[in-house]
Amino acid sequence: MKDVLVIGAGIAGIQASLDMADAGFTVHLVEKEPTVGGHMAQTDKVFPTLDCSSCILTPKMVSVGQHPNIRLYTLSEVTKIDGKAGDFTVEILRHPRYVDENACTGCGACAEACVMKGRIPNAFDMGLGKRGAIYISFPQAVPLKYTIDPETCLTLSRGKCKKGPPCKLACAADAIRFDDTEKTLTVHVGAIVVATGYDLFDPRLKPEYSYGKYPEVLTALEVERLCSASGPTLGEIIVNGKKPSKVFFIHCVGSRDHTVDNLYCSRVCCMFTAKQAHLVKDKVPDAKVTVTYIDIRAFGKGYEEFYERVQKEGIIYRRGVISEVFKRGDKLYVRGEDAFLGEVYEEEADMVVLAAGLVQRKGIDIIKKLGVKMGDDRFFSGPTPLDPVESGIDGVYLAGCCVGPKDIPDTVVQASGAASRAMAVLARGKAA
Amino acid sequence: MRIGVYVCHCGINIASVVDVAAVRDYAKTLPDVVLAKDYQYMCSDPGQEMVREDIGAHHLDRVVIAACSPRMHEGTFRKVMEKGGINAYYFEEANIREQCSWVHSDREVATEKAKELVAAAVARVHLQEALQEKEATVTPAVLVIGGGIAGLTAAKDMADAGFAVYLLEKEAYLGGHVAKWTATFPHMAKAEEFLAPLIREVRSHRNVKVFTSATLTDLEGFVGNYQATVALTPRRVDVSACTRCGKCVEACPVEVSDEETWGMTTRKAIVLPSPPHDPSAAVVDAEHCLHFTDNGCDACVSACPEGAVNLKEPEREETLDIGVIIVATGYHLFDPARKPELNYERIPTVITGPQLERLLNENGPTKGELVLNGERPQRMTFIHCVGSRDHQVDHPYCSRVCCMYTAKQVRLVKERYPDMRVRVCYMDMRTFCRGCEEFYNEVQRMKVLYTRGMVSEVFTKEGRPMVRFEDTFLEEMMEEPTDWVVLAVGMEPPEGSDELQNLLKLSRSADGFFLEAHPKLRPVDTDTDGIFLAGCCQGPRDIADTVSSAHAAASRAAIPLFAGKVAIAPIVAEVDTEVCAGCALCEEVCVYGALKLDEARKKMTVNEAVCKGCGACSATCPSSAIKLRNFKNNQLLAQIDTLCVASGRP
Repeated sequence: MKDVLVIGAGIAGIQASLDMADAGFTVHLVEKEPTVGGHMAQTDKVFPTLDCSSCILTPKMVSVGQHPNIRLYTLSEVTKIDGKAGDFTVEILRHPRYVDENACTGCGACAEACVMKGRIPNAFDMGLGKRGAIYISFPQAVPLKYTIDPETCLTLSRGKCKKGPPCKLACAADAIRFDDTEKTLTVHVGAIVVATGYDLFDPRLKPEYSYGKYPEVLTALEVERLCSASGPTLGEIIVNGKKPSKVFFIHCVGSRDHTVDNLYCSRVCCMFTAKQAHLVKDKVPDAKVTVTYIDIRAFGKGYEEFYERVQKEGIIYRRGVISEVFKRGDKLYVRGEDAFLGEVYEEEADMVVLAAGLVQRKGIDIIKKLGVKMGDDRFFSGPTPLDPVESGIDGVYLAGCCVGPKDIPDTVVQASGAASRAMAVLARGKAA
Repeated sequence: MRIGVYVCHCGINIASVVDVAAVRDYAKTLPDVVLAKDYQYMCSDPGQEMVREDIGAHHLDRVVIAACSPRMHEGTFRKVMEKGGINAYYFEEANIREQCSWVHSDREVATEKAKELVAAAVARVHLQEALQEKEATVTPAVLVIGGGIAGLTAAKDMADAGFAVYLLEKEAYLGGHVAKWTATFPHMAKAEEFLAPLIREVRSHRNVKVFTSATLTDLEGFVGNYQATVALTPRRVDVSACTRCGKCVEACPVEVSDEETWGMTTRKAIVLPSPPHDPSAAVVDAEHCLHFTDNGCDACVSACPEGAVNLKEPEREETLDIGVIIVATGYHLFDPARKPELNYERIPTVITGPQLERLLNENGPTKGELVLNGERPQRMTFIHCVGSRDHQVDHPYCSRVCCMYTAKQVRLVKERYPDMRVRVCYMDMRTFCRGCEEFYNEVQRMKVLYTRGMVSEVFTKEGRPMVRFEDTFLEEMMEEPTDWVVLAVGMEPPEGSDELQNLLKLSRSADGFFLEAHPKLRPVDTDTDGIFLAGCCQGPRDIADTVSSAHAAASRAAIPLFAGKVAIAPIVAEVDTEVCAGCALCEEVCVYGALKLDEARKKMTVNEAVCKGCGACSATCPSSAIKLRNFKNNQLLAQIDTLCVASGRP
């Protein structure tokens, strides 16, 4: 059996797919979103090197899209898995894109013409930017094919739009297919790599931080989009219509926290906060930037050095948790404890960034049904924590954040690791 | 000639500083440029597609892309050239990001400079020559250097994938550091329970050949076709005959400090490795054995009832043909004597974490009892970050494992001795690994004092160890008596890294560990094709992350072996035999050994597969007889002349 299934096309799924495809195996890569790239594509710059994330991710995305050994199924999900190592039968449900992938040239004329243009919050931009009912998530999407969102498209949701409809009239390639339907296909594979990634902790579960109540309170991923050159503000830090001058970062939101039943550390928040604090300070040099933390976990290669650098740039680190973000009059305040001074303080802020942690994805029932177990932290868990790639099921291997939070280098490493185990199964042929 | 020029915005990375449209319009005025365009991201799918289509539609025969550093995307764009149907080397990338927009802020000046860089690239691309990549076959075998948990894991993966594996271990037994640990975090499973089955599988795998007491002494060749020379120190004991009865050890008159306990105990010059080290048969330490150093003693030979000891066993050498190499040489523990204020060498009850691990081990010198010099401690003080996050000893980095191995040791101690009074002094608790924060929570509930603040000194007062430390929460300096002090020593690059670096042409990062090719894109690859990194030789990490990276190295190493062939880059030196005088000066400067003098013809020859295209030879050649393809004098001078003319300094 030369075929292998990879579930999820974030950086973990991309890396695992490329390794196995380069080795000559046929990879079926299933992604539920319209594009590959996952969370890494939403990131502006990466720590500690400050490389632009898309600069290092885009070539891998393009390789996935063009690789002769990779069959990419976007807008798709795995609905059924039968069989055993060396001989799995997999059912893939392909949701309608309502655009013919073979015909669409990605020119964007349809999106320009859409009557809903600029009216729908773009999930890729964490809702901070707007799109139409026909859209691409971001300019480097792979495949670069437009997608119609059936819930907001007037033709699909109400049965009528302006005459034409305008997108169809605008499409020179005649690629719009309002009658597109769900399709199911079956593939046979010898091994499976699970790379389903993570969801962000919902900070609304910590109401004391007032997320969703005040626009000045943002999540880190929202700040990532604000920092991004191709984001909704073209890289400017604009909060509530103006540049902030007093910025507070709050660590461990939804991590190391019994009150929300997330006892674990999310492993990346210390460093992405250090990076964002640097970026905000860089873009708004006069701003007073304060980071509040419990412990600084700068453990990767060059991380401690980066943390030292950020402190030297004038960013203030205060040990102690913030207990509340609130408004008095029209001013926003944070209340926290400075553990070194042993005192409680209140300070004004006009931008508060919540380092929301990582939680297990929703919609992973198919993996659970396979028999892959979960730990108390709800991430997948194999027979031993000492070999995180193993799922406990022969022929099924785990990669990236579905086995627990981790940064990009550790994710890429683990993805190659899962590929190694999967290739060993493929190489041995049909399991005895 | 029909040249196409493309100017990339790189989002706002370039476009916010350089007037991209002005550069594009300027490019149209350059000689033979028939088309110039700008685009938001040239490396994206539509950017690449645009170039591919234009090559056909406009009959382009040369392409210049003004974007980022060629180190980033030259390979990406060369593939586009091929897809468009022209030679991949009829291409030049002008770096207007790293060398322009990122280092200038004046829009006007930056735009002018970008124009000059594009003009220079156009001048050079005129003279570029078509080059062909070659292919070489691959020997389907791997050399794994290091028989710790990383090397064992990588070896097993490669063997499972069907390739021949040579596993090299410099010690007389497999197992590495993990074999010395008592329990693993966070599940407190015995290290042995994880390690022993892995060793068994590797040992019994038909695709694996294990060499213990083995060192790599020479390496020749290139990816897919390496020849490794391995020196094998004899064990001087027949592994299949030794029954571990211990009579040889009893008979040995020598007594030296034991490395396994870092000098807490002594050993003989013939040693029985403790399980799960494998093989656990006796091994002779020739460095200390009197047979070799002095009077030709053979007490062990006579003592062995099986006749298994053979002090005359000779040294051997093996040559191995392999396609790829996985480096898994592990780490070295920081020597706390370098922190004299901790008095590790002067106070006998100041020990390291790994030493405590041996004391807690049922196979260790005290069979798991906490006893030193006949005394059991009532109080213990653990000190974090010894040799980590410390500029004084030039180790600014975090060692990643010490917070957790300390928490684990505290738990082992408290489980066995619930009344032990334990204080842990730390800077930041870095219990980030899976299940580790939860573990730390549990340990805190075992009546352990975790104090945030570092220890400034360990000293003695009236014969009793004293610890002076800061409690940063109370903002106070404190002094208190203790019985044992345990130092959580961090990790350093392993011994022998310099030699291996030279043999394998590896790079090192500032912290001294081996450097990966790219921290995110290629985290286990190296700059030398066909050589990969597994485990702590690349940087400190725990067992789970080590195992992960070992699997990863196996995956990367398996790719060329599965593919069965490797591409050989054509940017290599070429010799003009008409001009070459055979002086061989170039041979001396070539660090890759790619140049050899053909003695008969008195001409240099280039091994194209070994040449890395560094250009040192062509710079050295007194008669310009050796040239680097794609970087020939006329090509470079055309580029430089254009820049000089543009800046008014012809």
